[in-house]
Amino acid sequence: MIGLVDANNFYVSCERVFQPHLEGRPVGVMSNNDGCVIARSAELKALDIPMGTPAFKLEGLRQRGEIHLLSSNYELYGDVSARLAQLLRDACPEIAPYSIDEMFIYLDGFTTQQCEALGKQLRQRIRRHLGLPVCVGLAPTHTLAKLANHLAKQDPHYEGVCLLQGQGHTTEALLKRTPVGSVWGVGRRLAERLAIGDINTAWDLRESDEKWLRKRFSVVLARTALELRGTPCLEMNALDQPRQRIMTSRSFGQPTGEFAEVHNALRRHAQRSAEKLREQGSMARAVMVFLNTNRHRRDQPQYFPQALIPLHSPSDDTRVILEAVRQGLEQIHRPRFRFMKAGVMLLDLVDAKEHQLSLLHPPARDRHPFLMATVDQINQQMGQGTISFGMTDAPAAWQLRCAHRSNRFTTRWDELMKVGTHPGAVAAAEAKEKAKQREQHTLASAKRRAQPRA
Amino acid sequence: MPGQSFHFTPALPLSAQPLPHLTFLGRAGFSGFPSPAQDYEPCTLDLNTRLVKHPTQTFYVTATGDSMEGWGIFEGDLLVVDRGIEPRLGHILVAMLEGEVLIKRYSLYQGTPHLCSTHPHYPPLPLEGSDCKLWGVVRAVIHEYVR
Repeated sequence: MIGLVDANNFYVSCERVFQPHLEGRPVGVMSNNDGCVIARSAELKALDIPMGTPAFKLEGLRQRGEIHLLSSNYELYGDVSARLAQLLRDACPEIAPYSIDEMFIYLDGFTTQQCEALGKQLRQRIRRHLGLPVCVGLAPTHTLAKLANHLAKQDPHYEGVCLLQGQGHTTEALLKRTPVGSVWGVGRRLAERLAIGDINTAWDLRESDEKWLRKRFSVVLARTALELRGTPCLEMNALDQPRQRIMTSRSFGQPTGEFAEVHNALRRHAQRSAEKLREQGSMARAVMVFLNTNRHRRDQPQYFPQALIPLHSPSDDTRVILEAVRQGLEQIHRPRFRFMKAGVMLLDLVDAKEHQLSLLHPPARDRHPFLMATVDQINQQMGQGTISFGMTDAPAAWQLRCAHRSNRFTTRWDELMKVGTHPGAVAAAEAKEKAKQREQHTLASAKRRAQPRA
Repeated sequence: MPGQSFHFTPALPLSAQPLPHLTFLGRAGFSGFPSPAQDYEPCTLDLNTRLVKHPTQTFYVTATGDSMEGWGIFEGDLLVVDRGIEPRLGHILVAMLEGEVLIKRYSLYQGTPHLCSTHPHYPPLPLEGSDCKLWGVVRAVIHEYVR
């Protein structure tokens, strides 16, 4: 069995762990530089505020206190995601993070009942130990697990854990009411083409002739149809869903602890990821770097770090991504571990044509679309890696606009959550702090006023 | 055990950098004696291994207010909060009550479980019939005398 553990409204849920007063309130998280809404709580969705709404349109609602808008706090999300991955790693034989808030778990050799019990237990543990609400989809294949997870989220009677068999009435009923476009790996354009061939639901796709699909469309689609029948045949990396995330990772031939070697591998992955990014016409808002030691070597110290670096404006420039990767690696690399695997993930992708330009942070002057296009073209014609990037120079300033960012509760000592020993203690302390600041402010301005006279 | 070297792997903190290990492996100059500690594998004590039993579920918070001073929690103290511990009577809890997060001692008062503090101004809060939710259990308090 394969399970997909997916956090509900991950960014908002992370914020709520440390700010419980946001529970039950409409909360949105904004993109870098506070451009537009990129994550919404269920309450905000209920207000019919669509994804990608520019933040300035919601300013009125925010000021009246009807909704809460927060700047994205990637350090917090990255840390909570790492904790989630570690918790699953401790409980399951094998896991594979798919994105910042989705992790596949592999439960080979478990019976159906055991899988379901484990799913329920994991859901409770994650809620209790990390404070995150998650849903778990269990099925024999990746594609079905993804659908099962969706069902677990939509239908409250599953209580967050849904197990789908390859065959069965539930599966059939579900597939019949799932539009083919919602199947993992079937994009909008492909769905349109399928509709011409009279394939409208996931069930239609499942019942289609595999050879016909392969001839008419692609091997990947034929495999997707097989997966819907419950036959696992897709590797996780085979389906990079467009416009969500791009991952490149590989195991090292020899485990290594050398900074330079790990860095080199990551640079290769970063360049490949950036190419894929431009191929699909997207830009990334954040870059995640992760390293794995060999978990089967119980005798060696284990370390599975990851770092998330937000970009100050969405970018598809290899050099920007390389710089972010270097920063990320410097944060997490520890020389005494021997790493088995390293990877780069590009997150929170936006369409390159549609993305909103920031007023305060104009796109960096050194952005060269033609340069990147030329490099890609040469690499396509002459083979992967004909042109690659040398070491980038001095680090750019990664200054972000984040007026409403919550504290980085888990990664900065001076931004920890404040907890009162009695009701009102925190509020009183904050009021005191503010009064002090105001006093200092008036003192300073009085001084300034007094000076010219003297 | 003298003469025997331990191989000791500290539980890894998620984000904090472990303390650097001392290395006694160098020799004390070409004309001196070899270090007598040479045969002992270096394993500096790491506070993380002592205070953090579940690194994924451990969070740090700062205490605010004076009503837990009787239990040794002062304004500005650092609390090590473990969300993986089952709360028992006598534990000091971080709990959510009416949208606010509070530090209280979980104990019996007049025979029923209450959230208690040590300050006479703040009476025990009964748990029965309240919407109190557990956030975590305080494993340790760190009070820094010199900052």
